[in-house]
Amino acid sequence: MKRVVITGVGAVSPFGADVGSLIEGIESNRCAIKYMEAWKDYVGLNSLVAAPAELKNEKNIPRRKRRSMGRMGIFAAQAAEQAVEDSGFDKTILNSGRVGCIIGSTIGSPEALMETFEAIIPNKNIADITSMEFFKFVSHTAAMNVAQFLGISGYVMATSAACASSLQALGTAFDLIRLGRQDAVLCGGTEEVHPTVTGIFDVLFATSTKFNDRPKESSRPFDTDRDGVVCGEGSGIIILEEYEHALKRNAKIYAEVIGYHTCGSGNHISQSNKDAMALCMTEALNDAGILPGQVDYISAHATATKQGDVEEALAIREVFGDNVSVSSLKGHIGHTLGASGAIELIASLNMMEKGVIYPTLNLKKIALECEGPAYARDFEKKNIKFLVKNCFAFGGINAVLVCKKI
Amino acid sequence: MNEQEIIDIVNAIFEDSFEIEKEELHEDKNIFTDLGLDSLDIVDLVVALQKKFNVKIRNDVRVRNIRTMGDLYNYVNLLNKEGLRPE
Repeated sequence: MKRVVITGVGAVSPFGADVGSLIEGIESNRCAIKYMEAWKDYVGLNSLVAAPAELKNEKNIPRRKRRSMGRMGIFAAQAAEQAVEDSGFDKTILNSGRVGCIIGSTIGSPEALMETFEAIIPNKNIADITSMEFFKFVSHTAAMNVAQFLGISGYVMATSAACASSLQALGTAFDLIRLGRQDAVLCGGTEEVHPTVTGIFDVLFATSTKFNDRPKESSRPFDTDRDGVVCGEGSGIIILEEYEHALKRNAKIYAEVIGYHTCGSGNHISQSNKDAMALCMTEALNDAGILPGQVDYISAHATATKQGDVEEALAIREVFGDNVSVSSLKGHIGHTLGASGAIELIASLNMMEKGVIYPTLNLKKIALECEGPAYARDFEKKNIKFLVKNCFAFGGINAVLVCKKI
Repeated sequence: MNEQEIIDIVNAIFEDSFEIEKEELHEDKNIFTDLGLDSLDIVDLVVALQKKFNVKIRNDVRVRNIRTMGDLYNYVNLLNKEGLRPE
């Protein structure tokens, strides 16, 4: 099996349109969550908070390439362009057939979906649908648009597993490269804030509803006052590359990807399951060939739901005991759903590089039922040799990635 | 609606939908080779014309013969004379 390393990163997040702004926002312990005034018009929507990202400089993408991109496609294209720039790739390699593009999201652009159905439904009329709406809302919108934008001719795929989408993209890319099928893959996820998306969580009583008047105090992973998900948006794109390929071109290496696992719970459509989570983490560690005690940091999924955080805390405690530092970044940027795995891994790689663990924002009092793991309560200096990234999605789908500092 | 009003509305569609500068929009410009539109853009052009002029032209075969901005102005003028009801 070939070795796989991370050689480029790019992000658009609620803190700004690059990795630097993401890190600066987290390091300054800011919360990007805002009150969404216009959402008041939606009857029955109880959660009026979100972490939106600013759409800017989109016209730098030529119109012919941009016309098929919804908001999430633009975020992905911008993050992908940054990642390619960061990797130092000669762009001609993108068209070699040996470089792939795997980008996931929960669904295609909800804004485009809504515009389409708003046009069709009143008069059952499809004559006013523009040619590009379909390309904006298909499930593989980000993967195909980024591949078209950058001229990528290798594997082009979309992983669609809600909140585990981008980590599944990374895991799939990891497998393709270690099997020798691709030399490098741009992979990650993208997501769009939209009232219909928050509304889906709202219907299931999984959103934060008590902090509409104090948005900066939500979301609150593992906290006793946590009350649910706050949706965020943006994109994280990471370049995975075969190790020797990266060495030959003297690329900067952020970390080595050494283990991955994804599995279903087969248990419940929406509720998390600690046994399946623990199994996923254990199998990822087995794949990595390391023991739980060797892990220095876990970037938790922890979306601040009443039930999900408890299951994850129990699973972490079962697999790792109480010695491994744990934090969640949802308090800073909300839950960027399909993009969260990649965006939060990028932040975790920064922690690894700097030897510091970022704490969970808004975690003031650990909930009794979440006690056990070693939550980072403040910025902690720590040499991170091994880190684990968790993502757990609706449908009982779990994904865990393990990285090693080299 | 006079001819100049029609030209202004059509040009506004090209500015808004296809991000083409007003200065580029002359009747002798070929909408494909000079202005860079393709077959997908024509679908969107038809949708925009339908909305702006309140017509249904999706299945009007005359659309297929349009090559220049002049052709397009003339076509909309014809629609106007027909009472903007080609179907």
